[in-house]
Amino acid sequence: MTLLIAVAIAILIGSGSYLLLKHDLIQVVVGVLLLSHGANLFIMFAGLQKGAAPIYPLAPNSAIADPLVQAMTLTAIVITFGVSALLLSLIYRVYIAHATLDTATLAGEEERQERAEETDESADDPEDDAAILVEEGRAL
Amino acid sequence: MLVAPLAVFWIGGLLLAMADGRRRDIGLLGASILSIGFGATALLGRDVLTNGALEVVAGSWPTGVGITLRADALGVAFSLTATGVLLVAYCYELAGRIESRTFPALTLFLATGLTGLFLTGDAFNFYVFFEIAMVSSYILAAYGEERRQLRAAVIFTVVNLLGSVLFLIGIVSLYHVTGTLDMATIAARIPIVEANPTLVAGTFLFVALGVKLGIFPFHFWLPAVYTGVHASVAAMFSGALAMIGAYGLLRIGAGMLPRDLAVSSPVLIVLGIASIVYGGLQSVARHDPSAVVAYSAIGQVGYILIAVAIGGSTGYSAAILFTIINAVNKTLLFLAGDQSNQYAGFAYAIGGLSVAGIPLAMGFWSKTALLRTSMVGDGYPLRVVLTGVMILGGVLSLLYMFQSFGRTYWHAGKGPALTVAPTRTVIVLLLAILTLFFGIWPDPLLALSQRAAFTLIPGTP
Repeated sequence: MTLLIAVAIAILIGSGSYLLLKHDLIQVVVGVLLLSHGANLFIMFAGLQKGAAPIYPLAPNSAIADPLVQAMTLTAIVITFGVSALLLSLIYRVYIAHATLDTATLAGEEERQERAEETDESADDPEDDAAILVEEGRAL
Repeated sequence: MLVAPLAVFWIGGLLLAMADGRRRDIGLLGASILSIGFGATALLGRDVLTNGALEVVAGSWPTGVGITLRADALGVAFSLTATGVLLVAYCYELAGRIESRTFPALTLFLATGLTGLFLTGDAFNFYVFFEIAMVSSYILAAYGEERRQLRAAVIFTVVNLLGSVLFLIGIVSLYHVTGTLDMATIAARIPIVEANPTLVAGTFLFVALGVKLGIFPFHFWLPAVYTGVHASVAAMFSGALAMIGAYGLLRIGAGMLPRDLAVSSPVLIVLGIASIVYGGLQSVARHDPSAVVAYSAIGQVGYILIAVAIGGSTGYSAAILFTIINAVNKTLLFLAGDQSNQYAGFAYAIGGLSVAGIPLAMGFWSKTALLRTSMVGDGYPLRVVLTGVMILGGVLSLLYMFQSFGRTYWHAGKGPALTVAPTRTVIVLLLAILTLFFGIWPDPLLALSQRAAFTLIPGTP
């Protein structure tokens, strides 16, 4: 059982990390979700003891499952839910602004922007440097 | 008393979430709620420093069952600095024009998350408050909603979600091996737990906090985000949010897992040196003031890592002092770097002097504390290397600060002064004066960091 769960967690986290490295932002979101589910499963099975559901009335002389990890998993699931909704809406805004969900295209656009800024800078750079040199000369 | 700052921020945030933050009166209301919360934190701090640590168990449960909130000197010092930074950055944004209806509420939620995180005594609660702070900051990263900010927000969110998952796994691993979530009880039980499992949990937590701090191998997201977001949001992130990383290293590493911290101190020292050298060299090569400060942030956290790795009361107090002073420096630099008149240039120069550790600016005292720490390192060669790296880092920071200062202000300063909202310039000038004030009279900061360091070392007052 422990091995089975460990393998399941490994598959979830492994495929989540793989998807996180993809170019498509939707695949990135799926990757984040799989990672969080792997973590949730990890919490569930980090409980201190296994047994019946911890609900009153308890059956006498039977082990009960650790309720604390279940509470923690529930909290983690709620947080994951909120965060993934937020991430999806953020990506939707990116899609509206850039009309693409491909990180490579986004990065390309960034580079183009930077290059445009740099040409702007280099236009007034010589003047800048000259002014600084003059200032330095005065200071000396 | 302990709950007061948390309650003020949280209720204020909930109320303002329903209002339109772009309106002037709502913006001012947000500023006054933040100031009240800051005042409440300061009162709590005075109480803790005179009467010792406070502890409250939520919902009147017996101790050991309920979730505890605990305020000690370390938590109070951090929450006071973080709230102060948030207040200044918020007022800066308010002095211009708030562009989004959610900005005041999100700042208050960020304050709630940070205050809760610094004042909690429960490891899982630490994670929950961590997430409250992170979720607010994900939305704040997109503040302005231009294309650049959206891109920065996506990078920031995805990378930090990965960090949060690792953090959660680390906390739960600690629960599994110690059987409790109470930080003090974990710390008490760790010595009787086998060494290997705690080392694994510690590694998870270290990587998660390293992502938050932006230390060398986990820094890749930081420059894109800090240069992409608005200046006030960058000040909040680099001033207040990055403190989570330093606090986690001190509280979890030094306070809860001292054995594992001692085992991994060579790794921390190597990563710290790498951060200082990498951040310094990258900063020298940058032109844009926000990029210079962003790479400088990577370099500066390296010092925290080295101070924590060396440890003892000297190392911890140096780490705490440095974190507090660094938060103020980064806020000052990001806000001043956003303007180009000569008064802002003056403030930027003071911030630069403080980062480089020149006397009269308060950064001098943190650099002095760090040098003292490097002198108590283990063995002669290590001391020489560390002192050399600290001096190299100082020289590099002096170099890049003055390069960017010259580029930004010497030329631009000749233009018509005070083109932006004058209140903004007044805010950065006040911060610069504060930097000089604590540079001339550092005693309260030194005493505070010393007191905070003692809370991490058992058997000291």
